[in-house]
Amino acid sequence: MPPDHDPVPAPIVSLSDEDLMGRVAEQDERAFSELVRRYQGRVTNLVSRVLNDRECSDDLAQEVFVRVYIHRRNYRRGSKFSTWLFTIAANLAKNEIRRRVRRRNWFSLDALQEMVSDSAIQLADPTEGQEQTLQREQLQRAVGRAIASVPEKYRLALVLRDIEGFAYEEIGQMLGIPGGTVRSRINRARAMLKRKLQPVLRQEGTP
Amino acid sequence: MNCCQSRGLFGAYWDDELTQAEREGLEAHFAGCPSCRGEYDELARTLELVGSLPRVEVAPGLDERALAKARRAVPVPDRIPVATSRWIPITATAALLAISGATVIQWTGTLAPRSAARQEMPSVQEPMLVEGSSRPTEPVLRAAPGTSEPVAVAGRGAADRQGQVALSDSLWEQGDDVEFILDAMTLRKGRAHPTSRLTPHRARGERAVITF
Repeated sequence: MPPDHDPVPAPIVSLSDEDLMGRVAEQDERAFSELVRRYQGRVTNLVSRVLNDRECSDDLAQEVFVRVYIHRRNYRRGSKFSTWLFTIAANLAKNEIRRRVRRRNWFSLDALQEMVSDSAIQLADPTEGQEQTLQREQLQRAVGRAIASVPEKYRLALVLRDIEGFAYEEIGQMLGIPGGTVRSRINRARAMLKRKLQPVLRQEGTP
Repeated sequence: MNCCQSRGLFGAYWDDELTQAEREGLEAHFAGCPSCRGEYDELARTLELVGSLPRVEVAPGLDERALAKARRAVPVPDRIPVATSRWIPITATAALLAISGATVIQWTGTLAPRSAARQEMPSVQEPMLVEGSSRPTEPVLRAAPGTSEPVAVAGRGAADRQGQVALSDSLWEQGDDVEFILDAMTLRKGRAHPTSRLTPHRARGERAVITF
């Protein structure tokens, strides 16, 4: 087998995700590396936004691809690879959230309320005189915290839709819920998020 | 279109999934309702902020690390193409047989298992008459070989076997060790069943020896 750092040959690069996965099923490690290269950014971003934990997201993203390789023979050729991949990612992210809830109660309802209040206070009262970059970073951190404070089942749907840009039908397949439920969850998540970010939005002078 | 109907369309309006008529109706409502317009603008700004979050940078070497870990992991075998409907009648039949068997055992359990339980208790055997007793006129029933303690039993089985032999009315007149055979109980399926009736020849159970 050639070393992993060798440049990927053209035929591999030109293959579709599904064809690559067919090769991965036959233990083609170069095809696997190509799939990881294609999706590592989106998977890492998804788990990072869902968990609001940059440190953990690398490990979890790695675990997603390990699962892909281990379960490579369970992939059904006719189905869309990205849907299958993000189903695994969503399940692992969900498990991680629940593990944290069990272990540390970080995301209990009470804790969520506190986090929302904290983020709202921070957003509503930014330090005067900060540079624009710092303000933007602070705003982004606050948005990240607000997303993380949305209950898990709404959060996953929200991130898949409004950050990763998946269609409702795909999200339904990933989460194993009907399309109507997906829409309902996303609408609720958006409304929650708007409420949480309302202080800063009004301070910004928006509309 | 009222405000409630208008706000129900915010999500679809953001996703650009409204019909032409719905869009025009909503925009007409916005024109006359600053409150709904403001609410929608806040929602839109929120979703813009969410959508504009920077992408998280990937740690270098993720593919190599994932592959190295995956190599060490045991691959999951092919998914077995199970026709699950085929197993349903088999499972149902097995469950039915199990339930039927349990029911039959429950109904017949008061007789058959009791005799089986008796056969499993070798330490107590049928009493027999011992010749040469110290009181020949008042025969004493001793335990059969294999039992360590003598047994004095008044009952129909012994009397039938010995014919004219009559047992004393009082145990105190035996002048020998007397073994009481207690009416033992067994516990089966949560119910107590007597392993013997009061007739001595059917008695089974724990022995209690009293020395006079």
